[in-house]
Amino acid sequence: MKLHPYTPFLLVLATGLLAFLLPAPAGPAALYAVVAAAAVVTGMTRTVLAAALLTLPLWAFLLLLHAILPGGEGLAAAIAQGSRLGAVATASLMLIRGFEPSRFLDAASARGASLSAAYLVVSTLEAAPRLRRQAAAILEAQRARGLRIGGSAAGRLRALVPLTLPLVLGTLAEVDDRAMALEVRGFGGGQARTPLDPPSVTARDRMLRWAALLAVMASAAWRFL
Amino acid sequence: MSAVELEEVTFRYAGVDAPALAGVSLTVPEGTICWLYGSPGAGASTLLLAAAGLAPRFTGGSITGRVRLLGADPHAAEGRAALRGRVAYIGAVPDLQLSGVAGTVWEEVAFGPANLRWPVERIRAAVEDAAGRLGIEHLLGRRPSALSGGEKQRVVFASLLAFAPSVWLLDEADSALDAEGRAVVASLIGAERERGAAIVVAAEDADAMLAAADRVVLLDRGAMVFDGPPRELLGRELAWERGPGGTSIASLGRAALARCGSVRLAEPYPLDVREAVARWR
Repeated sequence: MKLHPYTPFLLVLATGLLAFLLPAPAGPAALYAVVAAAAVVTGMTRTVLAAALLTLPLWAFLLLLHAILPGGEGLAAAIAQGSRLGAVATASLMLIRGFEPSRFLDAASARGASLSAAYLVVSTLEAAPRLRRQAAAILEAQRARGLRIGGSAAGRLRALVPLTLPLVLGTLAEVDDRAMALEVRGFGGGQARTPLDPPSVTARDRMLRWAALLAVMASAAWRFL
Repeated sequence: MSAVELEEVTFRYAGVDAPALAGVSLTVPEGTICWLYGSPGAGASTLLLAAAGLAPRFTGGSITGRVRLLGADPHAAEGRAALRGRVAYIGAVPDLQLSGVAGTVWEEVAFGPANLRWPVERIRAAVEDAAGRLGIEHLLGRRPSALSGGEKQRVVFASLLAFAPSVWLLDEADSALDAEGRAVVASLIGAERERGAAIVVAAEDADAMLAAADRVVLLDRGAMVFDGPPRELLGRELAWERGPGGTSIASLGRAALARCGSVRLAEPYPLDVREAVARWR
């Protein structure tokens, strides 16, 4: 049974708040462990590894800054900050990987939310895979024309220009084309649409939302009272 | 009332002196296939964008003259509201015609009718009908982004067919299709004409359009230089002088004339094999 599309957004928001409200370094480290465990339990082990890889340079920088170089705040500070980043990165990647645009639009339609705003969220979250596909196509096309990607660092840097320029220009041009396609299909104009299969808020959704809310409120109370 | 009316329409892209359309007047009645023909840059694509009310809003530039679709002005907000779901525009690149929000082909085809607030049961029926007519029933559960170019193009046609538009504006819309896909789309367009839809097609394939179109409009540097039945243009020198040429058989006859100079080969050139056999036997 899938979660309601709004629930993961609330959980990511709660993760972000808890990462800074919980007492450091144990709080953020425990939060990171809980988020990573949730990812593993829901079959997203690769997401945990991807997030870890993504934050690896930051971990190295934080350890260098706080634990190795003189004047740092110590190992605890490095662990606290690294765990915050790790927890938020893992939760965000889980959201992106599990995101289903059509279900989100259906949820927005069913609630009478602004479709333009909903489409903005969808296109933002869908941008990464779309850009990856376009980049791969451009890479193939440029290779076919003799572009060499390997070699020295300077050579790799030079190869970035014929890869990124078409990607950026193509993306900009695509915005208008996509807007035209949406208008032709009757999207927008401030009007509501029929939800094709409106997702329901299940007992699990409610439990997770309440748990997240209570955790944030308790952490805030502990922190500020 | 004509479904498509353009009166003295002139369009200029920003930063370009020469007009992309120069005083074009055109009316297309319901139940007609009008073929826009011309060399690259002749203005066929711009004419379709202007007729759809998409240029200059999405392309930049400026337009003068009068445009009406089904009696409404597609360049005014009220006109666009009145035309919502009644006009289908399809371009050459299927990737850019997809909504980008559908997880399956079924959702993609249902996207337009859902935006028009149709009841779910009516949407289901429309999706099934459109998918059946485009031969994509087996794709309904697939991700649109994972399809081939030809499959995507069929999905795009089905997505617009689902809300039964009164006007089709097609800009090289079958360019990604294979021979079988083109035959399916040609049959669909014929059926839409029978239903009473007005169809304006920009296409390069003179052989296919000779049989399909009721009328051809030849454009050259933004101006209309011919408007009439395809048979009256495609075997004449005008098709080469001001356009990309005639049918492949007419091109053969023209090449033979240039080589032999025989009076029997003089224009109008035969347009198809049957005519060539009858004339040259």
